[in-house]
Amino acid sequence: MTTATEARTVSHPDQQDAASGSVELQQVTKRYGDAIAVDGLSLTIQPGEFISLLGPSGCGKTTTLRMIAGFEQPDEGDIRISGRSVLGAPPYRRDVNTVFQAYALFPHMTVAENVAYGLQQRRTPKAEVRQRVSEALDLVQMRRFADRKPTQLSGGQQQRVALARALVNRPSVLLLDEPLGALDRQLREEMQLELKLLQSRLGITFVFVTHDQGEALSMSDRIAIMRDGRIEQLADADTIYARPTSAYVAAFVGQQNFFRGTATEGGSAVESEHGLVRGIRSDRLAPLADGTSVQAAVRPEFVRIEADAAGGAPSTGANRVQGTLLGVSHLGETMQYLVRLGDDQSLIARRPTPEAPDLAVGQAVSCSWSDASVQVFPSDDAAAAGGYVAPPTH
Amino acid sequence: MRSLRLPSFALAIPAWAWLVTFFVVPVGAVLYFSFGYKPGIFGTHATDVLSFDRYAEALSPTFFEVFMNTLWVGIAGTLLCLAIGLPVAYWMAVKAPAHRRGLLIALVMVPYWTNFLVRTIGWQIILAPEGWMSQLLQTVGITDGPLAILYTRTAVLIGVVYNYLPLMILPLYVAFDRVGPALREASKDLGANRVGTFIRVTFPLARPGIIVGLLLVYIPLMGDYITATVLGGAQGNMVGQLVASQFQAAQNWALGSAMAVLLILVIMVSAAAIGFLLWLVSLPFRVRNRVVLEATA
Amino acid sequence: MAEKSTPIRILASTEQVPILQRAIDRRRFLSFAAAMGGTAFLAACSSPGGSTSSAPVATGGELEGSLNIYTWGDYDSPDVVASFTSDFGPKVTFDSYGSNEELISKLVAAKGTSGYDIIVPTGAFIPQMIENGIIQPLNKDLLPNIEHMDPAFLGRSWDPENEYSICKAWGTTGFVYDKTVITRELKDWNDFLDAAQNEASGRTSVLDDPAEVTGLYYWANGIDWNTTDEADLAACEDFIVNTLAPHISAFDSYPGGQAIPQATQVLMQAWNGDARIGIMESPDPDRWQWVLGSPATELWMDNWAIPVGAPHPEAAHAFIDWTMVPENQLLQVDYIGYHTGAAGIEEAANEAGLEMLDLVFFSEEQIATMNDGEVNEAQQVNVDIWNKAKAAAGA
Repeated sequence: MTTATEARTVSHPDQQDAASGSVELQQVTKRYGDAIAVDGLSLTIQPGEFISLLGPSGCGKTTTLRMIAGFEQPDEGDIRISGRSVLGAPPYRRDVNTVFQAYALFPHMTVAENVAYGLQQRRTPKAEVRQRVSEALDLVQMRRFADRKPTQLSGGQQQRVALARALVNRPSVLLLDEPLGALDRQLREEMQLELKLLQSRLGITFVFVTHDQGEALSMSDRIAIMRDGRIEQLADADTIYARPTSAYVAAFVGQQNFFRGTATEGGSAVESEHGLVRGIRSDRLAPLADGTSVQAAVRPEFVRIEADAAGGAPSTGANRVQGTLLGVSHLGETMQYLVRLGDDQSLIARRPTPEAPDLAVGQAVSCSWSDASVQVFPSDDAAAAGGYVAPPTH
Repeated sequence: MRSLRLPSFALAIPAWAWLVTFFVVPVGAVLYFSFGYKPGIFGTHATDVLSFDRYAEALSPTFFEVFMNTLWVGIAGTLLCLAIGLPVAYWMAVKAPAHRRGLLIALVMVPYWTNFLVRTIGWQIILAPEGWMSQLLQTVGITDGPLAILYTRTAVLIGVVYNYLPLMILPLYVAFDRVGPALREASKDLGANRVGTFIRVTFPLARPGIIVGLLLVYIPLMGDYITATVLGGAQGNMVGQLVASQFQAAQNWALGSAMAVLLILVIMVSAAAIGFLLWLVSLPFRVRNRVVLEATA
Repeated sequence: MAEKSTPIRILASTEQVPILQRAIDRRRFLSFAAAMGGTAFLAACSSPGGSTSSAPVATGGELEGSLNIYTWGDYDSPDVVASFTSDFGPKVTFDSYGSNEELISKLVAAKGTSGYDIIVPTGAFIPQMIENGIIQPLNKDLLPNIEHMDPAFLGRSWDPENEYSICKAWGTTGFVYDKTVITRELKDWNDFLDAAQNEASGRTSVLDDPAEVTGLYYWANGIDWNTTDEADLAACEDFIVNTLAPHISAFDSYPGGQAIPQATQVLMQAWNGDARIGIMESPDPDRWQWVLGSPATELWMDNWAIPVGAPHPEAAHAFIDWTMVPENQLLQVDYIGYHTGAAGIEEAANEAGLEMLDLVFFSEEQIATMNDGEVNEAQQVNVDIWNKAKAAAGA
């Protein structure tokens, strides 16, 4: 592990400047022909913040990152880095560096030469180049591979070199374009932790693009959930998880069971095919008129499951449904149950392994949950169909 | 039951057979004949007495004089093809819209849809002093008198570029295309401008393609004398012509073979020398950008 | 229907097509095609000999169904070929070569299995082909139309009894100059050499052939152009390489193809048929003057011959005989622009209204100044002189 002294030498000298490291996007729009990749997006990133842009492919997150880096120019709007507009500035005149998805290491240079590249472009004296390259390689624990070529390194090692190559320039903002996507699961989780530690030590602003909700949740100060070129919700991980503002966000982060139906009880409950699903509608959200098409969401971990004593009798009361157990899967810490409620509706329940009931496939089961675990959203076809579970856990 | 499997080298057999049949055997025959002699006026070659005499005959002042001319055309033509082909290939692989690249490659190949000789003679017509190009230039007022390009080295170079440019552009295009946009973006992200990116990333990575392009143009160009003769007249005298004259006019295959062997040697040595020179020129750059860290404590 | 040789597909404007076509047809293909096919020689590396014993011999029997002719590009009137097929039956297939050396190499390598029935070698190469057993004696009984030939063009030095060959066409060497640049009258080779060193310097071309280049010196100076005398050869080399070559801008065997129509040169050594086509194609024919080489010049003759092992000898004899029919002789002259060696052909051509016949037919006195070439011991020296001249001209 590196020491705090080493970390400080790599951090930006102007770190104390309030504006340095801030990123502001103001009404930024980017079109490719008729397709709108980014649609009037506004976002303010604080200096030293770790922010994730999360969304499925095609949501505009990578385009947004590339506009900050300077590889793309916005059609409308303004981008300010450290308080100064960078409109029209090429990548090499921006105080940002990027860690690329496939690392983009120069195959004809050694690890040390890759890391030195940015410093050489700035005509840094040779001795200083050697010094800073050593430090940067130490930071990512790659010093002993300095004379190797990138092709002689594993994916994780290349990843570290790419990180060192960007950090050695002491940028105000580091942009990371799905940098962990090519790593296997275990390495990815290790790197998530390291990245987060590195970021908090260096204090550099990190803008992290990912389609992996787990990655975003575990590292970010704030997460911007993107959809169709816009930000659907911008909040910290807890808020995103516990209080999603739309069915789309609810579905994208974690897993959800959806029940479609019509609003009742002032928009806090849903009259569905499978009975009344009642929740507590947050005051922060716009009210839903009774009778409008809505959907209720409840996470699998809030669903209790037990053998159905009533023997398949229709449900009585809210937040309780009966069905047939289709399958049980062991996920380690939890057991997951797939319950069939009707022709086109199924339900997932998840219980901690120690307290998971022993149920047989094909058995009649009864599921229930509390009012507090239910959220009601306006109907959103794109986000969730009945019983839709998205996305699968990684 | 065991199924029969061919060993993996079986795949290489057609290639080897082809090389042996159409390269090794003919070159071997040429080498063998070059030690023989011409047995009287109605024979072309005999090899019952072997000697180096034909090489002594071949290394005449005429050979050196013609060889210097050949080397000039070969090197100047190759460098000109590189100078023109490099930006074109770079533009095609990097700047041109991706969906147009197939069309661009087809356009580069257009000269090859026509017979080699016919398209060279076509230039003879264009460059003639009373041809349409000459008249056009005079009408527009760019030149005062008739065009005086035909039968000069300028005409030779025009023909060389026309006939050999595709051989330069295609490997360069593939090389630039293979570098891909990601590394160029990484370079710019790290503070290099376009020129810096080209010099330190694109060019070094495209170097194998550039070497292939140089060899693809230089080697056949050194042996070609059609282009040079048709457009350069007396100024386009090439060693290839000298070799052909021994086979065709003198019916002296032994001497022709000796000249052919010398030409092959000269091409190999000069190509190696040019390669070494390029390496030498790039050496200071490599040294400057080398980064060696002190051994880890 | 007979196939015409050298089908070429050209991507060029239609005005250019005839020019290009001419450039590589009718023996104009020689230097280029030979050069491009040069490597094919190497395949033909076996020694001569080994005649085929089973080949049929022409005895006047029934004609075979087909006939394969290996000749110079576009060298026969399609009308003559078509009428032969319709009147006699054999289907005629053409293949072409660019030089006598190419022809010889191919036949030597094939050892009588080439499949060709008729070939058209130039006279100087016939002794070599006889010696190497490449061509077979003709059956003169099957060639009655030989009576229409002019005896002046039979019994030439290379085959005095016409045992193996009969004249197919012949030509000679002279020069063409641009009267708008060279205002004095040039009459003979000495004038040619003088103009080349003066007003035509740097705009003079000579034929791209060693015997033609050295011939310039011998013909001008009254020396036998087949000389093997060392003093003659040395003097020739000195003059050609050191005096003449620096003034030469191109070695061009077919100035009629480009140089005359495009006016790229002002003085050009040329064969008569090629000069005729060039002047006819020129937008301003009056500016060009043809001069027959004198006091001496050459007579080259291409000859019908039948290779050893020809699979269709009856048809071959019938075809050769058919070309000697007077009306076919006229068709041939009209098509190729060279004298076919027939008696009375000049009168026939005049009656038919053919153009520029002074470049096709020559007087007896003129013909008397034309000499046959031969392949002899001077061949290598002539090639060396030719190569040195090229090097000197390009320097």
